[in-house]
Amino acid sequence: MKYHITHITDYVYASPASMCHNIMVQFPKDHSFQKVEESSYSIEPNPSYATEHEDFFENKYLYFSVDKRHTKLSVVAESTVILDTPEWVALNPATTPPWEEVRDWLHSTEALNDIRQYYLESDHVPFEEGIKEYALVSFTPKRPIMEAMMDLNNRIFEDFDFTSGFTDISTPLSVVFESRKGVCQDFAHFSLACLRSIGLSARYVSGYIETLPPPGKPRLVGADASHAWIALFIPGHDWVEFDATNNLLVDDKHVRVAVGRDFADITPLKGIVYGVGNQKMIVSVDVEPLTD
Amino acid sequence: MIESYLVDKMFKSANSLDELVTQDNKVADRWQKLVGFYANLSTDKMSQYYEEVSRQLRENGVTYNVFGDPEGMNRPWMLDPVPMVFSAEDWATIEKGLIQRAELLNLLLADIYGPRHLIKEGLIPFELIYNHKGFLRQADKIKLDGEHQLIQYAADMARGPDGKMWILRDRTDVPSGAGYTFENRAAMTRVFPNLIRENAVRKISSYYQTLKDTLVHLSSKGDNDDLRIVLLSPGPKDKTYFEHAYLSSFMGFTLAFGEDLAVNDGYVWLKTIKGLEKVDVIIRRVEDIFCDPMEFRNDSNLGVVGLMESIRQKKVIVVNPFGSRILENPGLMAFLPQLCEKLLGEELLLPSVATWWCGHDKEKQYVLENIQHLIIRKIYRGTDSQAMYGGEMTSAQLKQLSSDINRSPYLYVAQEMVEFSTTPSWINNRLEGRNAIFRSYIVADTENNTYNVMPGGLSRSSVEKDASLIISNQSGGLSKDTWVIGKKGEELVRPKTKLPEVSLRPETKNVLPSRTGEHLFWMGRYMERAACTVRLMRMVLKSYNEADEDIHIKENDALSTLSKSLTAITDTKPGFFDKTTLKDPEGELIALALDISKPGSLTNSIQAFLSNGYSIRDRLSLDTWRILDSISEESNRMRKMGTDLTQIYGGLDSMIIKLMAFYGLNIDNMTRAATWDLLNIGRFIESAISNCTLLGAMLGKPFERDTYKALMEGTLQCSESLVTYRYKYRSVLELKAVLDLLICNEDNPRSLIYQVLKIDKHLRNMPHQELDRGMGPVAKKLLGATTAIRLSDIDHLSTLNGAEGKYLNLLEFLDHISSLLMEISDMIFQIYFSNNRNRYHRIQTATLPEI
Repeated sequence: MKYHITHITDYVYASPASMCHNIMVQFPKDHSFQKVEESSYSIEPNPSYATEHEDFFENKYLYFSVDKRHTKLSVVAESTVILDTPEWVALNPATTPPWEEVRDWLHSTEALNDIRQYYLESDHVPFEEGIKEYALVSFTPKRPIMEAMMDLNNRIFEDFDFTSGFTDISTPLSVVFESRKGVCQDFAHFSLACLRSIGLSARYVSGYIETLPPPGKPRLVGADASHAWIALFIPGHDWVEFDATNNLLVDDKHVRVAVGRDFADITPLKGIVYGVGNQKMIVSVDVEPLTD
Repeated sequence: MIESYLVDKMFKSANSLDELVTQDNKVADRWQKLVGFYANLSTDKMSQYYEEVSRQLRENGVTYNVFGDPEGMNRPWMLDPVPMVFSAEDWATIEKGLIQRAELLNLLLADIYGPRHLIKEGLIPFELIYNHKGFLRQADKIKLDGEHQLIQYAADMARGPDGKMWILRDRTDVPSGAGYTFENRAAMTRVFPNLIRENAVRKISSYYQTLKDTLVHLSSKGDNDDLRIVLLSPGPKDKTYFEHAYLSSFMGFTLAFGEDLAVNDGYVWLKTIKGLEKVDVIIRRVEDIFCDPMEFRNDSNLGVVGLMESIRQKKVIVVNPFGSRILENPGLMAFLPQLCEKLLGEELLLPSVATWWCGHDKEKQYVLENIQHLIIRKIYRGTDSQAMYGGEMTSAQLKQLSSDINRSPYLYVAQEMVEFSTTPSWINNRLEGRNAIFRSYIVADTENNTYNVMPGGLSRSSVEKDASLIISNQSGGLSKDTWVIGKKGEELVRPKTKLPEVSLRPETKNVLPSRTGEHLFWMGRYMERAACTVRLMRMVLKSYNEADEDIHIKENDALSTLSKSLTAITDTKPGFFDKTTLKDPEGELIALALDISKPGSLTNSIQAFLSNGYSIRDRLSLDTWRILDSISEESNRMRKMGTDLTQIYGGLDSMIIKLMAFYGLNIDNMTRAATWDLLNIGRFIESAISNCTLLGAMLGKPFERDTYKALMEGTLQCSESLVTYRYKYRSVLELKAVLDLLICNEDNPRSLIYQVLKIDKHLRNMPHQELDRGMGPVAKKLLGATTAIRLSDIDHLSTLNGAEGKYLNLLEFLDHISSLLMEISDMIFQIYFSNNRNRYHRIQTATLPEI
């Protein structure tokens, strides 16, 4: 598949700000099964300072600051991305190794630090009581890791209600677990907590997915949203991606932007504004399928 | 005074290890001269020495802030007159061991934020680093140029049962205490000069010089005119704020708080009253995760937004580098011996306390089985993670702790409880053996590619007995100077013993941060406001106490006008303008004097004056500081004394004298730089505004002759012009003459015109006011005020007019001048201090994207 993505974030302040600093993580990178044809950004007002970096998790990000008075900050990221069907789609889950074997390998020095770091707790992924037990229902002894994961994915999808507006970024995972409600971030964080609490390496993936309009209705521009799912490390196949929100093994419709331990590592846009008063944020995302 | 101590240590407590007495019951060689000295000393004399040492420190303003302390801020720093003593041989071992440890930790730091080979190879367990909150991923792959990443280092040590010094803790983020150490030594040198000379006590100044040299060297700029080194402090509430201010002025750094700095175009800038000035090096006392709310803890307001990015761009050097706290991880101690062998090919010289990291099963098992005999710590030292003593916990607590350890074993470390040596300490007028912890200071010498260990340091002993490992100043410890006994004449051949050079370029280096300027300005204003309040309040209280009890205050025109004037001056309406308050004025009078939470009250103004003063401690001379202290004491005394109006009156008398002493001292001591000008601009703006308020409130309304005469006299007295008036006009009180003296007389320092001219004079010395730019807006406003006063017609002002039978011309004139002055104050604020207003808030994708 090929997509053109437009991600617009507008901040409107109640009173003028004299300056702002921001970090923006909205640039898709080349990946296995993903090729970035084009990627650009524009920021209004024009930043007085802007530098691109790569972070600890090898994501691309932009640090920028605006030093003139402004009441509105508008950040636009655009990219064109070609997606291939990943190798794991054809994989027979029953042929993957037992999950305990993977766990033991991860905890030896044979595994790279870059992989091991994803089995630790993180701010948004604490090992709350009961989560490990929830995971073990799917991860029964000796069960092939991918098979167990598909089962877990399915259970989360069935057990949890997708409810927008119930959670925000400060909602603790325990509340999500108790109420069994949330949005894609919560589903991803919960999946991660399940996997990490039993010693497996799994990471948070942010990106986009095309939303299909209701049958018979036209596609609405800008009505899409950014999305989040997870990737589980399976030796021999590296990071295999699962989307609990949609109960699927990621195919060629997920555009990857960044990976991290959780949302906090790769917040799409965060910043500090010098000034007083509140601000309003308006985000619009458009994932346009291209035919070529 | 030493005998009972010797007897006790030699015969009674046979098995314990003591610094002074050796295992075979002799006085250790290094203590011989001191013991000889103490042997001839009476208890009284020693007490005198103790007092003398305390006095030295108090007079030098050495304080320590204890959070939540009932005594409030600025608790005096306590120093034991008995030092901690090391022999030359002992010290050689310690010094060598500390240099080795610093080098080892430096290599670890470079690896942890570099290739991480040690973790990959399993020499440092992966979980010990990646789970530690001090492992700052944002600081990965960022290096200072050269070999040294760890610049400042401090190690806490105590003497273990084998007679060797053991390392208890490593401090690598923001090690504190080197400033106190210097003050301790200074006080001891003044009180025991001979003892220090006879023992050839090693000097500690080379440490400070090396620190300065290293910072200059790191900047790769050289110590030229525009090199700016800033000491970043969390602010006056920090427990070691004294030291931040002290070290800054002593080392020639600019003391700054987070709000004084800003990052723009990738560079760090200091906001000064002249504008922005580039910062080259920051030596920080703010913990790394509080240093940049953009990239670390976003609830911090101690940091500088964008500082991490500036470091990344190598536009500024920050010492110690962000992320150094990872080395404070006590779990590392368990692995240092192997790491030392591996990296340096040597045996680790200084042993650490036996440490078990629970991240490995075998160690975890041991810890859980022996938990009652161990000290349990978290690998990350935070406010919520105090050391836990297994032996002192209930079984329920132990069970909870064990389950916590089982849940996240890698977050816990256990350490052995060790019986450390005692050292003689002067407590309750006698020598007692107390456990002492010695903190040593090490700094990288980047020029010579080595580490420099301060020959001395800060020792702290517990006031309580058997407090073994929990000594800290926070919990009320006593500090000790630390003497390394040298050989006579040795000091002469040491290469670096010069003190840090005093900068010869104060104009360029010693610029005034905007915030400092603002504090000075407000100090001036609050001092004057307090003084004016005192003067008027004294009169109100006096006439209130003298007033005829039969005649009610409401009918006493003079007294009620005085009272209303007090409300006007303190800006506390309705106050005495409210008839019920005027009927029963005592409560309001007491509140105006003592209620610190009431804006406008005397104690409130004094408090505002003082807290502005505390914030610019590095700019105030020692004598000034002492006066601030005595003002603070007086204010506390008044508040404690309670609500007796006669006693309040007495307090007012001494308060005014102290306030005047502050002013007088600064005439003599404050450099004639922007500091002095801003203090005075604040002062004269306040006094001119108060003058207008007072004249209007007291004289704006006519009364019958005697009353009005009393009010005129009161006005003159309050303006300290009564004597001048009598001298000039004899004793006839006439409104015209009073107004002439208090408004137009350019020779009278209490006149409005004099005060406005003073504002103008001081303003001319300020940056952005150069005459070659033409007359600025503030100068124009001032000219307007000056001209209006000079052109005022006293006959016109002293004419009764208007329907209400008031001196309306006078009131209008005063209002006009007063509002001009307030506009001037606002403009000064805009020009010099407005960039202090960097209130900021976070924005981020707070609502989750939905799909």
